[in-house]
Amino acid sequence: MSSAGPARHLTARRVAAVTVSLVLAGGAAACGPKDGADKAGSGAKPGAAGGAPQKGGTLSVLNSEPQSDFDPARLYTSGGGNVPSLVFRTLTTRNREDGPAGTKVVPDLATDTGKPNADATEWTYTLKDGLKYEDGSPITTADIKYGIERSFAAELSGGAPYLRDWLVGGESYEGPYKDGGKGLDSILVPDAKTIVFKLRKPEGEFPFVATQTQFAPVPRAKDTGVTYEEHPVSSGPYKVVKNDNDGEHLTLERNEHWDEKTDEERKAYPDRIDVRSGLDAAVINQRLTTSSGPDAAAVTTDTNLGPAELARIGDSADKNELAGRVGTGHFGYVNYLAFNPKVAPFDNPKVRQAISYAINRTSVVNAAGGSALAEPATTFLPEREAFGFTPYDHFPAGKTGDPAKAKQLLAEAGFPDGVTVTLTHSTAQNRQTSPEVATAVQQALAAAGITVKLEGLENNAFNEKRWDVKNTPGFFLSRWGADWPSGAPFLAPIFDGRQIVTNGSNYNHAQLNDPAVNAEIDEIAKLTDLAAAGKRWGALDKKIGEQALAVPLFHPVYKRLVGKDVKNVVISDWTGVLDVSQVSVK
Amino acid sequence: MTLFVLKRTGGALLVLLTLSVIVYALFYLAPGDPARLACGERCNPAQIAQVREQLGLNDSAPTQYLHFLQGLLAGRDHSGGAGLVLHCDAPCLGFSYQNDQQVTELILDRLPATLSLALGALVIWLVVGVGTGLLSALRRGGITERALTVLTLAGTGTPVFILGLLLLMTVCAHLQWLPFPTYVPLSEDPEQWAWNLLLPWVTLGFFESAKYARLTRSSTLETLAEDHIRTFRAYGVGERAVVTRHAVRGAVAPVIALSAVDFGTMIGGAVLTESLFGIPGLGKTLIDGVRVVDLPVVVGVVLTIGTAVVLAGAIADLLYAAADRRVTLA
Repeated sequence: MSSAGPARHLTARRVAAVTVSLVLAGGAAACGPKDGADKAGSGAKPGAAGGAPQKGGTLSVLNSEPQSDFDPARLYTSGGGNVPSLVFRTLTTRNREDGPAGTKVVPDLATDTGKPNADATEWTYTLKDGLKYEDGSPITTADIKYGIERSFAAELSGGAPYLRDWLVGGESYEGPYKDGGKGLDSILVPDAKTIVFKLRKPEGEFPFVATQTQFAPVPRAKDTGVTYEEHPVSSGPYKVVKNDNDGEHLTLERNEHWDEKTDEERKAYPDRIDVRSGLDAAVINQRLTTSSGPDAAAVTTDTNLGPAELARIGDSADKNELAGRVGTGHFGYVNYLAFNPKVAPFDNPKVRQAISYAINRTSVVNAAGGSALAEPATTFLPEREAFGFTPYDHFPAGKTGDPAKAKQLLAEAGFPDGVTVTLTHSTAQNRQTSPEVATAVQQALAAAGITVKLEGLENNAFNEKRWDVKNTPGFFLSRWGADWPSGAPFLAPIFDGRQIVTNGSNYNHAQLNDPAVNAEIDEIAKLTDLAAAGKRWGALDKKIGEQALAVPLFHPVYKRLVGKDVKNVVISDWTGVLDVSQVSVK
Repeated sequence: MTLFVLKRTGGALLVLLTLSVIVYALFYLAPGDPARLACGERCNPAQIAQVREQLGLNDSAPTQYLHFLQGLLAGRDHSGGAGLVLHCDAPCLGFSYQNDQQVTELILDRLPATLSLALGALVIWLVVGVGTGLLSALRRGGITERALTVLTLAGTGTPVFILGLLLLMTVCAHLQWLPFPTYVPLSEDPEQWAWNLLLPWVTLGFFESAKYARLTRSSTLETLAEDHIRTFRAYGVGERAVVTRHAVRGAVAPVIALSAVDFGTMIGGAVLTESLFGIPGLGKTLIDGVRVVDLPVVVGVVLTIGTAVVLAGAIADLLYAAADRRVTLA
């Protein structure tokens, strides 16, 4: 999912959210949840009570953002997202289990997670028997090849970039609408059941990439270009029967030709799924809280609870009931302070170290919504084994910062009387790169003699500036999310010198181009033993951390409500949010 | 009358043309690369270049604007992939970068929701607002007037999103008299359409009613103080007849005219209510278009709103003339 923030709010929504929070909270200070909500986050599992899950009923999904791209070529969501994964099956998929077990990649359309050749530059998959589309026709590997090829078309842009970078010839391929029927030579389909991918370099984590919706089959005869998203052909347990207003209202019903014997992952309990979008975040949370009528069988796949709403849950008379319906999840994400070491005074490592020591993570976490919604971070990698997490804290700032140590380092750097710097941030109210987090940083650094001037930019302008290598600010708030649960999609885009993009979006903010780091990234990429790879990603994170090229601030935590009748809530560390394919409403 | 129509049409076209030029100019000054946004965050430069080419963003701003005008007059074609050529008939407002849809179609999809919202609100503010204003003027100085003044002050001083949220929380969440509104098109289920729009109508209607109550009150008081009313009274015409036959007609003329203008403005101006109640209308579409730098959508919606406002202005003039015969059209 790259660095895209999950929440994009309109000003009106923000005002409304703040208002409802104030009204709901009844004067409670926005300082994080009280007991009830905390308890929900630390062990209680929503949807666990009330007997075994059963088939039937209608699940309502109440969302803020419409599912405007329902084309598998255009979707860019980790593991095929939530709702799309009900319609599109892929060669592999995520293990639909709670917590760390959910970070594993498992077979979906394929019989296994893929067979690599000796150096992991070639991956072969075989399809299961009995796979059918919603019209009863068989799913073939030619359709998977075509589905991938069409994701290269400019008309269907927006999907994940890996195949363009990894497949032989992918960098210059323009898709099947322009290739005169030739196709991409690096995807071979020797027969209807077998598909082979030829890669430019070893990629031990190819099975993770094969979870992305670009690997969903698309029958060439049914391809209608940009209008395919209105009625994509289902290979999953549900088919699209209605798609109004570009994904604002989606209705999914059972695909009679989906055979659960071929799909161990999706439980697909409800008969019908009704997805309503374009709703205000405050209204979604209020509807889930009230949980009356059809809302008792409702969930959200994109709206978190805010600090005031969590406080209200803790204060409410029925807090145990409400808290029992709050699901807590961790997605691989890090929010950090980024430096551009080509800009003074950040070219001086001691200045970067001083800032690392001066940071007050407690106030930053509070600005991000409190300890229920953000966990302080000293490592770039999230604190989950699948990402290769290895603990380190090279510049221990404690809970509230070490201004004395910071002052000492500043003096050593040649700034005994302090220094004035500019911190660039977004004006979007996302509690990640937003003004309240910037202000918390500003206050913490002031104690160490660092005067911070704030430069707030409109979100599009902010993103363009931080991703433009020629114009990258010296000091700014940034964030990064994993496309799959591993160290690779975290460290390679951020610290691989060969991924510095000079005329597009650059994510290597520090513009680090260290041959040793690059070589280690290549060596780890060869490993198909993911546990071994994880250990080395962790070690690499620790090693890079010594250079103080970034100050990790916090890892966000997702808190979401579900309706009263929702059962079998599964939240894995892969997506961090409830998996709709597991939910039962009866 | 013919001269009035010709003058109005000419003026409207000029206003809309100017509006489109201004929106284009503002778009090019605004931050955000539409090709990058349409392509996705991690597109490589080659892909961004392809998308830019496909969207015609390599052309200069004046050329792009001329293509837009050409589409309006003669229609345009757009590549839809898979050998698909999407034709957009004149007047074509272009293709949305983000929605992969003709903007005209998109607007026609979203217009019924906005119209539904605005129509209901219009009825409420005409009935409640004008009624309250009349009552308040006729009971001047009494306790009824004072009570109504407090109510209208509260109405004008309460932002739509606060009122809407309060209604949602009381009526839907606590009392559970109504389910949380979800927009249902009129064509799908007229009954559900009305039930689901009830709260948005009340929210927007109450807010506007307050304004109309004040306007009607002052207009009625002004009319009641006019010479011809005094003359009617002097001739012994009954108070009821003076008020209903003569005073009200003159008093509501400006109210009706303003209503037409407000209704036109509401086509694009009910963003907060649309957002709060999840109504997929034009206001929300415009905000989303601005956020994702989708120029064809922004221009199309702005022109639609502009047309609605201009039309409403003309209708307001006609209604004013019909209600008050002292007014002539030229």
